[in-house]
Order: sequence, then C-alpha cells, then structure tokens
Amino acid sequence: MAKPDTGGPDSESGLPLLRIRGLGVSFGPVDAISPLDLDVHDGEFLTILGPSGSGKTTLLRAIAGFQPPSAGRIEFDGRDIADLPINRRPFNTVFQDYALFPHMTVRENVGFGLRVRGTARRQMTERVDIALGIVGLEELDSRYPAQLSGGQQQRTALARAMICEPRLILLDEPLAALDATLRRQMQNFLKSVQRQSGITFLFVTHDQSEAITMSDRICVMRTGNIEQIGTPRELYYRPKSRFVAAFFGASNIVEPCRIEESRDDMTVVSTPVGTFSVKGPPPENTSGLALAIRPEAFGSDAETRMNSLEFEVAAVSFVGSETITELRHRNTSLMFTMKSRSDPAARPPETGSFLRVGFDPAECALVTGAES
Amino acid sequence: MTVGAGRSRPGIGDYLLWSVIALFIIVPLGCFLAYGFFSVVDNAIVYRPTVGNFAELLSNPSYRATFLRTIRMAFEVSAINLVLGYATAYFIWLRPPGMRNFLVIALAIPLLMSYIIKIYAMRGVLGTNGLLNSALMALGIVDEPVSALLFNLTAVRITLSVVLLPFMVLPIYIALERIPASVLHAASDLGANELQTFTGIILPLSLPGGIVGAMFTFVLASGDFLAPELVGGIEGFTYGRLIFSQFGLAFNWPLGAALSILLMCVALGVIFVARRLGNPRWQR
Ligand SMILES: Nc1ncnc2c1ncn2[C@@H]1O[C@H](COP(=O)(O)OP(=O)(O)O)[C@@H](O)[C@H]1O
Ligand SMILES: [Mg+2]
Repeated sequence: MAKPDTGGPDSESGLPLLRIRGLGVSFGPVDAISPLDLDVHDGEFLTILGPSGSGKTTLLRAIAGFQPPSAGRIEFDGRDIADLPINRRPFNTVFQDYALFPHMTVRENVGFGLRVRGTARRQMTERVDIALGIVGLEELDSRYPAQLSGGQQQRTALARAMICEPRLILLDEPLAALDATLRRQMQNFLKSVQRQSGITFLFVTHDQSEAITMSDRICVMRTGNIEQIGTPRELYYRPKSRFVAAFFGASNIVEPCRIEESRDDMTVVSTPVGTFSVKGPPPENTSGLALAIRPEAFGSDAETRMNSLEFEVAAVSFVGSETITELRHRNTSLMFTMKSRSDPAARPPETGSFLRVGFDPAECALVTGAES
Repeated sequence: MTVGAGRSRPGIGDYLLWSVIALFIIVPLGCFLAYGFFSVVDNAIVYRPTVGNFAELLSNPSYRATFLRTIRMAFEVSAINLVLGYATAYFIWLRPPGMRNFLVIALAIPLLMSYIIKIYAMRGVLGTNGLLNSALMALGIVDEPVSALLFNLTAVRITLSVVLLPFMVLPIYIALERIPASVLHAASDLGANELQTFTGIILPLSLPGGIVGAMFTFVLASGDFLAPELVGGIEGFTYGRLIFSQFGLAFNWPLGAALSILLMCVALGVIFVARRLGNPRWQR
C-alpha cells in the first residue's frame, strides 16, 4: 500500500506512472491550480476529491492536454509529456458529460480509438466485442447514444476509453449525473473493472463516500491546492487539517488546543474541556491547532478509555439506525452518535442529565488550519 | 408543435391563431391553387375547371427548357453555396468568441436590407465599370473591362450565390456551434488527428445544417425573379420571370398559377428530401 505523503521521489519503490511536479494552471490573474506535486502509481485507483471549484477538472484537463499548464512538469512513465499533443498522449479520458459521438452507434463509438489508428476491420470487431462484453453492452451495440440510458452511456464512454488499452484512464466525475441507486451500482462496477483490468484510474469526485468506497488513495483538493493525500482510512481517521476532518465527517472540533507533552507515538493536549491524549506526533505547524473527534468515536464505557469527559446532554435525536446525542459543556458542543437499540436497558440518556463519555487516542486527530 | 400543446383544452387564443392561419395562409393558397385550373378566353378569366394549363406547360418546349434551366441553375447555386457557406461558417466557428459573434452579426445584417438594393449593389459590382472589372484590370488579368459579367445566367448565378449566402452559412454555423467541446476533445483524446476529427466528427455533425442551407438556397433561387430580371438580361430568363410575365405582362393568371403550382411541387419535394437528409436517424 502506498504511503500517505504527497509522493516525493522516495515515496515508492518504483517510478510512479504519472509524476507531476510544480504543476500550476492560471486563468489570467487567477490561479486555478497553485503549483502542486502528485504521483500516481501504476495500477492504483487514485481519487481527486474536493468541493466544486477546487480545481479538480482543471488538473485533469492539464494532464489530458486540454489545458496548457502555466508551470511545472508532467511525466508519464519517466517521460516529459509537455510537448505531446492530446492525440498522442498515452492515456484516455472519460468525460463528465460522457462526450459520446452522437452520430455513431455504440459499436462505432467504442471502436473509434482503433479506427483512427487504422486497425484492421476484423481485429477491430474482436476487440470491440471484448470491450462491449466487459461493460455489458453486447446487445445494444447498434444503438445511438440518444437511445441509451445514463448508465449505458456511461458504460459506452468507459469501453471507448479502454479500447486502446491505455495504462491510465482519467475520469472526471463520471457518476455525477446518475441517480443514487445507479450510482452505487456503477461505483462497484467501475471499481471491479479497474481491479480486473489493472488499468490505473485517476478519478475525480466531490463525494467523499464515493471516494472512500472506491479508492486506493485519495487526494483532497481545496482552492487549487492539495490538502492531504492518503488512503481512505488515513484521511478518515487521521485528517491533518480542519478542512479534511470536516469533509470526512469528523465534525467535533475542540479548540483551542495546547500541546502539553509530545512523544513520537503520543501527544497530550490541553483543551477548555479537558486534557486528552492523541495518537501520533504533533503536527509541525500548529497554527489553529484543534482536536477533531469523530461522532462515532465516543463510548459510554468511559472507564476503559484513555480520554474521557463529562458533558450535559443537550438533545437526543433518533434517526433510525443511529441515535445522535448532542452534548454541551461551556462553549463546546459535541455530537455523539451510536447505534440505536430497541433494548430498553440501552436507552439513550435523558436530556439535561450529565453523561461521561470516553474515546481512544487513535479515534481523534490533531488538525490545523483555518476554519473550513 | 401545435399552439397550446400540453394544455388539455384549446383556449380562445388557439381558435384565434387558427383563424389567422386560415385567413392569411390557407384561403389565399386555396384560391391560388384554384386559379391554376381556370382558363383565359379573350382576356377574361373563365371560371370553369380545366387541366389545359398543365397540359400546355408540360408540352410547350420553351416552358420546359426554362424550367429545366432554372432548376439546374438553382442546383448549381446551392452546390456552390454549400462549399462557400461551409468554408465561411467553419472559418467563423474557429475564431475566438468575440470575433465570432461580430462576424455572425455582420453576416446577418444583409438579411435585414432590401432585396432590391442588394441586387443593384451586385449589378454595380459586376458591371463594365464595376468593382470586379476594376479589380481584374488592376491585377492585370484583363486589359479592358469584361462585359460578359453582366446580363447572362452566370451573373444570375453569382448574384444569387452572394445574396443567398447567409441562408447557407447560418444553419451550418448553428450546427457547428452545437457540437460540444468535450466531443471534439474526446476525439483527439482517443487519438484522432485534426483531419480525422474533421472528417469523422465535425463534418458529419454539421452537414445536416448544410442540407438545410442548401434547401433554403435551392427554394429561394429557383423561384426568384428579381435577380434574373435585373442582372440576367435575355440569356438569364428563368422560370420565376416566366411566372412573373404571366401575371404582369400576359395577364394570364391561370397559366401563371399553374406554373407556380409546378414550382411549388418541386420546392415541397426538395423540402421533403432535405428534411429526411437534414434529420438523420441518430438525431431522432
Ligand atoms: N476556462 C476557465 N476560465 C477561467 N476560469 C476557469 C476556467 N476553468 C475553470 N476556471 C476556474 O478555476 C477554478 C477551478 O475550476 P474547476 O477545475 O472546474 O473546479 P472543479 O472541477 O473542482 O469543480 C474555478 O474557480 C473556476 O472558476
Ligand atoms: Mg469539475
């Protein structure tokens, strides 16, 4: 598994498939992407995650060659591709709006990449058949895009991008236009195609749950910068900034934090609501230091946990599978979620009562940066 | 689309619009069609149905020749304009957005001008002392003015081509504009070079616009009588002038109506074919 840093030269044994250094894109005076570094490793599913306007599309367009960068280098397989025109870049794109050729059937769309390379007719038919088989569109091969559902257009676009067997496919929010059910199906489908084909996927989304379920690694972007790169677990449990913590639902922020004691594997911080131990070393830059705690990290078995605190119960709401308890102490308010139970013995606490809850050092993280 | 589609009950507005359509379009057209079946005896119209006019226009070799020459001329104008119009639309489409809008407006402005003025302008261009002759002489291509540029069928061809060009450029340009940028990106992303993108994507997606333009050009050119009248001379005698002469000079309205009906049938046929070609299967 890849390591959680930005992927400097020493981050991986082999050479990354795609190596981006100091890549910047500006539109006039505006930096859509501030110079950034990114490594994409061979065979991985890397997701660029960020809110709308954070520069995800621009980054992908710069890699694909649709948008000339204003600074930096892009290397593919050790070769600088700055001077390669779009049609000679050795990877393919699945567009957000699919961009199917409306005047061509599914078969012609999928075969387009082979046709422009002058592939022989018989070989073309065979390879298109295989690609159509992978995406399950054998029966619909003579339909026009206008006669397909959103999911089928999506599959056509994927087959079309895969036909030339690229080592890397860029996908710009390919599932954004689909409804929730289809979206979940397509997530699983895309992931399985990626795993079976071994093609590297550079996937863009603004949906954190989509990113978590599909990715080997996630690169979180914010206003043209990379905020953090890591595995879904790392981002989920060890966010480095408030922005990432909030994006991944670690909504409880306790601040201000002061470092009392720091070791390699543990940091002790004091906060207005108590002193807590946090797993890992403290961050290098501690401006705006705060403690982020996931709502599901708390347990009422406070005695067995290293950290505990006593709060007043401000509100309890039952939302089906979960029960959300809002706790308050001075100016700090915390959300605490637990699995709902029908057992009366496991009833949620009464509003106005005091509750002691505990959490483990590994279930919280020290985050920095401005409020998100 | 019918007026009020989606509403369950036609309102007063629908009836009003339908009566306007009936009064100003259907009734006059019906009267006109009816005239084709009347005849003229001693300068007076005889209102007794006959197919004599149609027999006359089909058997008269001079009518037939004029008809065929005109259809052919209109076809040539359409073909020339398809090439010129496509090149113009494509050129405009490739400009940056601001320039593009300016050029489209510049192209559309002549459509608002009087038709007669445009033809007189063309007469000025093509005449012995005209712009074209001056240019040819300045370039040393000819020594003295060429009079063959005016008062013949070629002058009609040139004039109609120029005057009808916007009708060709605009639908092609609209078709080009409707091609999403991502579709063109997808083509190059999949390895197509510029020529392959043009022939494989741009041309097939914009040609339906060209067919609509060719239809406009053909229908307008085949029925036109002003341009041939003003720049065509004797050689440039066209079917439109023939119809005009029946109404304006010979005072044979029934024959003029019959001649018009034939032209209308041709136009309807062209529109029908163009609708099929201009609306390919993938668009439906
Ligand atoms: N062609 C362009 N011209 C000017 N600004 C642009 C252009 N494309 C994108 N931007 C700006 O760059 C920023 C990033 O946009 P984008 O990459 O589309 O974000 P995302 O895909 O993450 O939603 C936005 O602020 C956007 O307004
Ligand atoms: Mg985007």
